[in-house]
Amino acid sequence: MLRNYQPKFFPAADFAALQAFTEILIPTDDTPGAREAHCAHYIDYLLHAADDVAPEMQKQWRDAMAALKQAGFHDADAKARAQLVEEMSKPERDRSATHPAFFAYRLIKQQNTFAFYTSRAGMIEALEYQGNSYNTTFPACDHPQHHVV
Amino acid sequence: MAKSYDAIVVGSGACGGWAAMELSRAGLKVLMLEAGSNVVPAHDFHHRFLYEMEFRGQNRPGALRRYTGTERNYRIMLDSTENPYTTSPGTSYQWTRSRCLGGRTMHWARASDRMADYEFKAASRDGYGMDWAVDYADMKPYYDRVERFIGVSGAKEGLPQFPDGEFLPPMNLNCAETIFTAASKSLGWRTTHRRLAQLTRMLNNRPPCHYCGNCVNGCDVGAMFNTVAVTLPPALKTGNLEVLTDSVVARVRMNSENRAQGVTYIERFTNKPVDVDAKYVILAASTLENTRLMLLSTEGGLANSSGLLGYYMMDQVGGGAVSGILPKLRGGPARLDDGKSAGITIPNFQNIDKLTARKDFIRGYVMNATGGQTEYPQYAASVPGYGSAWKKEIKSRYVAQARVWNAGAEMLAQKENFVELDPEVKDHWGIPVLKIHFTHSDNDRKLIADFQEKAEELFRKAGGEVIAGGGRGGPAGFPGGPGSPDATPGVARDRLGGAIHEVGTARMSVDPKEGVLNSFCQTHDIPNLYVFGGNAFPSTGDKHPTLTMMALSARGCDHLLEQAKGKKV
Repeated sequence: MLRNYQPKFFPAADFAALQAFTEILIPTDDTPGAREAHCAHYIDYLLHAADDVAPEMQKQWRDAMAALKQAGFHDADAKARAQLVEEMSKPERDRSATHPAFFAYRLIKQQNTFAFYTSRAGMIEALEYQGNSYNTTFPACDHPQHHVV
Repeated sequence: MAKSYDAIVVGSGACGGWAAMELSRAGLKVLMLEAGSNVVPAHDFHHRFLYEMEFRGQNRPGALRRYTGTERNYRIMLDSTENPYTTSPGTSYQWTRSRCLGGRTMHWARASDRMADYEFKAASRDGYGMDWAVDYADMKPYYDRVERFIGVSGAKEGLPQFPDGEFLPPMNLNCAETIFTAASKSLGWRTTHRRLAQLTRMLNNRPPCHYCGNCVNGCDVGAMFNTVAVTLPPALKTGNLEVLTDSVVARVRMNSENRAQGVTYIERFTNKPVDVDAKYVILAASTLENTRLMLLSTEGGLANSSGLLGYYMMDQVGGGAVSGILPKLRGGPARLDDGKSAGITIPNFQNIDKLTARKDFIRGYVMNATGGQTEYPQYAASVPGYGSAWKKEIKSRYVAQARVWNAGAEMLAQKENFVELDPEVKDHWGIPVLKIHFTHSDNDRKLIADFQEKAEELFRKAGGEVIAGGGRGGPAGFPGGPGSPDATPGVARDRLGGAIHEVGTARMSVDPKEGVLNSFCQTHDIPNLYVFGGNAFPSTGDKHPTLTMMALSARGCDHLLEQAKGKKV
């Protein structure tokens, strides 16, 4: 569905920046990442669908992209972008740290996490979710070490 | 002239479905009126992955403000704009409803526990409130009958506070449940499989569960109990039952002999009012809707000589949960952990007799626990970091998730909790809506605080790492429960809610001055008016209420049929 999707909400430069950002957060490694899951496309699709019904949600994202641009993410090269994400994310681990684009990092991370782990790539290929299937039995725990504390 | 039947059943949920089945099988001509749409499971229910849905289970932004539920199941929930309700200023009550054929049985959590004498006679023991007008001996044959027919999987334990039933074999325990069982045992607490109206082998031509974990989105094969798959087919087979969907009942009409003449319903899409008559009227439209109908039917409320109609509203206390991870399970292989959407039960072990009496609070609660993989890793966005290391951490925790939740905490009956008709607000059809007055007592708060303490104790005993205390409970995939993308994380621990177990408002009593219904759920005042649902409950107990509501309905049907025989219906 998203494979041939053309962004409708974000301007081209913002979309390219968002796409790069999502791929830094959830990279492709031994399992698929945000790229294969088309996370940025899904986020754009969702925000486009929010037209009229959730303007506050759209504003949040425009603010976030502006903060990202302000931080210099759009024009940075790959190395500098990685460095920027590292700085932006700092308050997550260190409560004394601050960054003006931290809220943008959190917003993108939250929606990117959702987009990734609700995608086939994230849920089935990365996490190997077993449910939502037809089974003849429910597998019992067969580990003796789980029967004692 | 109004069309006439032997009996009209308003509502098609657990109680309405049961009544329609019993009465039509006994030869009565029955009309069932359902306010919502028809449901055809094979057509309407599918196994869909989140990525197969346009909005990944969340629905279009803003849409779920209107509909309760998720993108998967909102059609078997309710349109809140058509069906508003109000609450008194400064209070809130989440009234979760369904308007569709089958009502809430189409997506319920299936927990089927018998109530015990320590609940039916709690007032005699601790002096609070009122005893039930029935005891366990009265109820046992009806519990037996209902369980045998709907199919309940479980294990016998011989605990007086958690009476055994007519069980199908229990479902297997997954790794997390096995660990919690061991932890609970070492604390001296008894555990058992959650008792679920979900088949573990074929019963009455219904197939056993296939462990997809999709119960709350509608069971496509009828392995879980719901009206459409279980009670309606035999009722329709008799040829005595007529079912009308999209028919919104607006009032019960009375005749001059103090008997119910019939009801008036409004055609949902044409707004046309239609009168239908019957020798018996059975309200089974859900607890609060039943009371709303009685309040709508006459000034001051129908069958309200006691003045107690609408009063003593209760809902088991919601809130309280612990979630985190079991390090023992970290990084393990992927398993089908959420396929039965179940868990283990730790029956209440406090305040059940003199020996276990607590000084600081009365009554008790039931704990549930489960764990393992869930469809969506709800915790993921709150794990700090990003990149490949973060991905590995998410995966490692995925199969080690664990949670303990409050599965039923008794809420004390208080007269100041009540429902009335809102003087201004009306629903889509111009019918006045309910105004709900609902607050919690100190005892309710103490119960949840105690639960929270014990739940964390269990979690630690299991070797678990607590990540979040407080918050809403519920099994994986349950709307609002952990593991579902629509969960509300981080609700403060002192914020109490409900449990979608609303009961009371027309309590049963031996003395007609002390309640609205008798022990057969027949109104004291009007002999041909029965009210099936949770209305009769004088107290909530700590068990999930549906099985008891159905057993009360079965008992009420027997009573109605005896009455009918005397009158040669």
